Amino acid sequence: MSVPELSALKSGDADAWDEAFRWLWPTAFAVAQLKLQPYLPEDIEDVAVEALEELVEKVAQIKEVEELKPLTASIAHNLAVSRLRERFAAKRGAGVTESLEARREAEENDTGPASGDSPLADLEQTELAGLLGELQTQLKPEQRRILNDFFMRGLSYEQIAAKHNVALGSVGVYLKRGLEAMRRQGAQHPKLLKELEAHLR
Amino acid sequence: MNSMNDQRFFDLAMKAIANHATDNERAELESVVASNPELKAELERLRAESRVVKEVLPLVEAAEAKEKELPGYARVRLQSKVRETFGGTSAARSEAETAHIEGWRFWMIGLAATTALVAVLLVPILTKPSGAIVQVAMLDLVGATRGTNTVDVETLRQVWKESPVESFSSPPALAEWEKTWPEKRKRPAFKVIYDRSAGEVRVMGRSKEKEFQKTFPIEPDLQTALRRAASFIAGETGR
Repeated sequence: MSVPELSALKSGDADAWDEAFRWLWPTAFAVAQLKLQPYLPEDIEDVAVEALEELVEKVAQIKEVEELKPLTASIAHNLAVSRLRERFAAKRGAGVTESLEARREAEENDTGPASGDSPLADLEQTELAGLLGELQTQLKPEQRRILNDFFMRGLSYEQIAAKHNVALGSVGVYLKRGLEAMRRQGAQHPKLLKELEAHLR
Repeated sequence: MNSMNDQRFFDLAMKAIANHATDNERAELESVVASNPELKAELERLRAESRVVKEVLPLVEAAEAKEKELPGYARVRLQSKVRETFGGTSAARSEAETAHIEGWRFWMIGLAATTALVAVLLVPILTKPSGAIVQVAMLDLVGATRGTNTVDVETLRQVWKESPVESFSSPPALAEWEKTWPEKRKRPAFKVIYDRSAGEVRVMGRSKEKEFQKTFPIEPDLQTALRRAASFIAGETGR
């Protein structure tokens, strides 16, 4: 599948858009799935389609074709977060007669709104898209694998060293450089920093 | 940084954040943080950044996903969006179509008898695929207010007599309808959609395990487009 030509997309060429939709669909779907699978799996496809529809409206703002995937991911992320917020707000609003105790219990067990509490949830689409695009190019594959193993899979320093066949002392170095790369990107995105500062308070 | 170097502090902080630190490591971190407010602030920053990393990394991975096929109904809906957004040739066609529809409506009303005759003679030949299920719908975003869609619905009915014509005024409702297929998978099934704003008739079909779709522009008129759509369906069902 080839990368579509941006000028053709901007002129509304149906064939170029066909190609773009096939190319971008996996991204839109995967991001929507990431956010919605645990709570609203039936909404995944719909959000992915909406994300691509919104992309059609925003294509005029794009300067490089490489921006398409990060922007698609960003739009899909924000739409999915909005969908979660709407759905959980509606769910809570519906239970107006419930007891305080039941409400407290429901809130304690209800992990859905956590997605709305994400430090990324209120970022502008273009800002999040920029951050994703830069991280895609800036983080080296080995750094990304080690960051994933530590933060997402919860592996220890020892487990990571064994898995990647690196010295135990190097694991922290990889993590530190990875986080420094994130911090550098964050510095270019003031709103992200602001969100971080809010979390620090 | 007191007696501790940067990397040692970072490792202790990371292990503590991930709950991997031993009692000794936790005590060492607490001790150094207690005596150095800057390190305390740095620890909090690392905590916040770790949280961002946990949010961002899966997004970076997902943004690079490659394996997933675009569903047919989604493609149709998205192409409608492209036409709606860019106008261009579609807009030009839409103006031409509007003029044409007005003339055609006049023609339809004035020559209803002739139309009926054409329908009687031609359409049954093409619209009785052996055992095929044909569902028909019309999307008209402004039809309800301008009140001209009755003629179009009637034209659709003439072509597919046994199929009720569903009328939609919003794309999401139509998209839902497009997703719902008859249960009887042994018979070929078709959905015919007249999208008035886009100036086209779309046919989506499922026959055995095969799926197909084709778009017919309203050129020179709706009836011709419907006849082509009916021929396409007949061809796909092997007649």
